[in-house]
Amino acid sequence: MQVTLMQGLLIGLFAIISGIDFWWEGFYIFRPMIVCTITGLILGNITLGIVAAGLTELAFAGLTPVGGTQPPNPIMAGIMTVVLAYTTGKSPATAIGLALPFSILMQYIILFYYSAFSVLTKKLDTYAEKGGTKRFTNLALLPTWIVGLTYGIIAFLCVYGAQGPMKSLVNAMPVWLSHGFEIAGSILPAVGFGLLLKSMLKARYVPYLLIGFTAACFIKFGNLMPVAIIGVALALIEYNRSKKDAENEKKLKTAMENSNGGDDEDGI
Amino acid sequence: MESKQSETPTRGKLTKHDVGMLGIRSIFNQSAMNYERMQADGWTLAMIPSLKKIYKDDKKGLANAMKSNLQFINTNNYAAPLLMGLEASLEENGEKRSTIDGLRIALFGPLAGIGDAITWFTILPIVAGITASFAKQGSILGPLIFFLVYVAMFFARIPIARLGYTTGTKAISKIRENSAIVSHAASVLGCTVIGGLIATYVQITVKTKIPVTAGHTISIQTQFFDRIFPNILPLGYTFLLYWLLKKKNVSPVMLILVTFILAIVLSWLGVL
Repeated sequence: MQVTLMQGLLIGLFAIISGIDFWWEGFYIFRPMIVCTITGLILGNITLGIVAAGLTELAFAGLTPVGGTQPPNPIMAGIMTVVLAYTTGKSPATAIGLALPFSILMQYIILFYYSAFSVLTKKLDTYAEKGGTKRFTNLALLPTWIVGLTYGIIAFLCVYGAQGPMKSLVNAMPVWLSHGFEIAGSILPAVGFGLLLKSMLKARYVPYLLIGFTAACFIKFGNLMPVAIIGVALALIEYNRSKKDAENEKKLKTAMENSNGGDDEDGI
Repeated sequence: MESKQSETPTRGKLTKHDVGMLGIRSIFNQSAMNYERMQADGWTLAMIPSLKKIYKDDKKGLANAMKSNLQFINTNNYAAPLLMGLEASLEENGEKRSTIDGLRIALFGPLAGIGDAITWFTILPIVAGITASFAKQGSILGPLIFFLVYVAMFFARIPIARLGYTTGTKAISKIRENSAIVSHAASVLGCTVIGGLIATYVQITVKTKIPVTAGHTISIQTQFFDRIFPNILPLGYTFLLYWLLKKKNVSPVMLILVTFILAIVLSWLGVL
């Protein structure tokens, strides 16, 4: 299937909007769940978009911009996964792997911008010193517009310009290679979950991980709701227990202080 | 307090609507994100209308407030409106500049920690996990629920800003006190769900079959791994990645590349 010029432009426009949304972390339409769906909608195959959305969202679950870091870009991953699945006829799972270079390209562009926009700080300082709110506002918003425009251009070039070469590349791929990409796509969420665990997992949380894992292995249900409910139950138990502990500790402390009041002179 | 008199005596008061708008404007927090002082420029941009209303004609006061808001800050984007609300109430009360700045600088780190734990590490995996299970079957419910949740999260910035404004320092110290307990409970929930996500969404199936006698083979997957425990390979691989990330400081991009190479090589060998 071909991406028409009109579709390419629309995807570029959507990339501008979601790019700004990612820059601001506003409405989370930059997550693959939404990006893939909208891209599918623009290409006239929304079901493909939604299926790709589920796969790509999970692959990027742990790849989050926490603490000013930049993960591989979820927008380009989402757009290119759907576009490549659409143009080459491969499954979305295979397409995730093929979309990755585009995602990493965008990641590095944003990292470059993080450094580049430091240039503006001096000028913003002088505007602030004079209390020039209007000029300050215009300049402080400039990076946002630059980033948005960059998304639009890159997305359009990748979607519309690169579709021909990508298609012939994919068609030239032997079966084991495209199968390899598909497998990689289904293992990829492990990287995201590994990243989530890196920031969350401490020794004392391992039991909960195992409970969740075991529950999901044996509860046959269409979605993860049962595991989430078990998690909420465990969290409530822990919340109440910790709260009680904290209160007891406080009480103990005050009691200790009261009883120890006169013994300090003993100096033991 | 002496400091209060030394400053311009009359300060403007923010209405409930103003504080709500401050919550909405907190979306600008990252508008000029850069490595030098991270969110500071966007933070100040978000604060401008409130500061203007508070300082009214006091041009110098406004300039001072803007300048000192331009110090390094990097916090969670849902914690930002809370801190902005608090700062607005302090500015309004004419607290000392050093008090306001000190509080902001002392609080943004801990609030980022608890905010990230709740939004990125608990809410996102849960919402993503549940909506992805709909989406994978091609149901529009997946993206729809996802979208609605995050629209609601966006508008939660309004009450969050008001909370910071009305309850002021008292609330923040209470939040700080409770933050350990709340992030503990959030981690319990998050880890449980991630355990479930690993079992559901990481798929590794070994294709290799070992011939025992002529015409009889043993499948490594169904007759070996699945008998030990279902999904044991995904769990093992995720832990391997976790170990590499945490203990060996390997970058995520590196691990993604290794995963691809491994998958392709094993596909070529016919193992996966």
